[in-house]
Amino acid sequence: MFFLDIGVSLPGYVLCLLKEWHAVASWTWDAQDETCGICRMAFDGCCPDCKLPGDDCPLIWGVCNHAFHLHCILKWVNSQTSQAHCPMCRREWQFKG
Amino acid sequence: MIKLFKVKEKQRELAENASGGPPVKKQSAGELRLHKDISELNLPKSCAIQFPNGKDDLMNFEVSIRPDDGYYLGGTFLFSFQVSPIYPHEAPKVKCKTKVYHPNIDLEGNVCLNILREDWKPVLNINTVIYGLYHLFTEPNYEDPLNHEAAAVLRDNPKMFESNVRRAMAGGYVGQTFFPRCI
Repeated sequence: MFFLDIGVSLPGYVLCLLKEWHAVASWTWDAQDETCGICRMAFDGCCPDCKLPGDDCPLIWGVCNHAFHLHCILKWVNSQTSQAHCPMCRREWQFKG
Repeated sequence: MIKLFKVKEKQRELAENASGGPPVKKQSAGELRLHKDISELNLPKSCAIQFPNGKDDLMNFEVSIRPDDGYYLGGTFLFSFQVSPIYPHEAPKVKCKTKVYHPNIDLEGNVCLNILREDWKPVLNINTVIYGLYHLFTEPNYEDPLNHEAAAVLRDNPKMFESNVRRAMAGGYVGQTFFPRCI
């Protein structure tokens, strides 16, 4: 609880008491697409193996500039026996630094 | 936010108890993705999808294709799809249930389509696979054959290939092999 001082000395002004406040924030990933091409879930959601979106289920970009959920693209590149390719453009998959 | 999730959970539990049924089985990631694929299907009139095991088993379904152009015009070809729980990291397993005289489909129903094998990638979906299968009938390809005999005839004598296809679809022999009617 805190007081909001808006100049009590001036006539006509009242002292305000701020009893409660709710902070609201929103966030979004800065990606071109809205959904992950692999799992088709929203980028602002999470991959199907995770429960909550956010830093625990991040997006990752390849040098080709295609973005996926980190977990989705890792599953894909690890499942390819030979060289891993971007599922969008088939270029060699390399993580963008 | 956390509170919201808790409320949702409570509501779900209440709904489940009210219906008296067992709790809904959690969908695998593959089922979840397949669900999206199916709800977004946009098939041409010549293709249709069926779920012989009902809506509780979406991972096994059938697609029938009736080509409206090319050598196979008028025939109906049934394909079975088997989707694994790790879909889309693995292509669906597709088999042709209709015996067909085709350079890219063998007599056991194995299908040679690049996107079902080496060119599969997880951004593809059921729709693209069905379009790929449809394409096999409008543009059979002798360069990558499973049925080598049919491929050789298509390459060397397209007229004879056409009459072989008609004979097979009408129900009859091509060489030593009998093909049931599929028109």
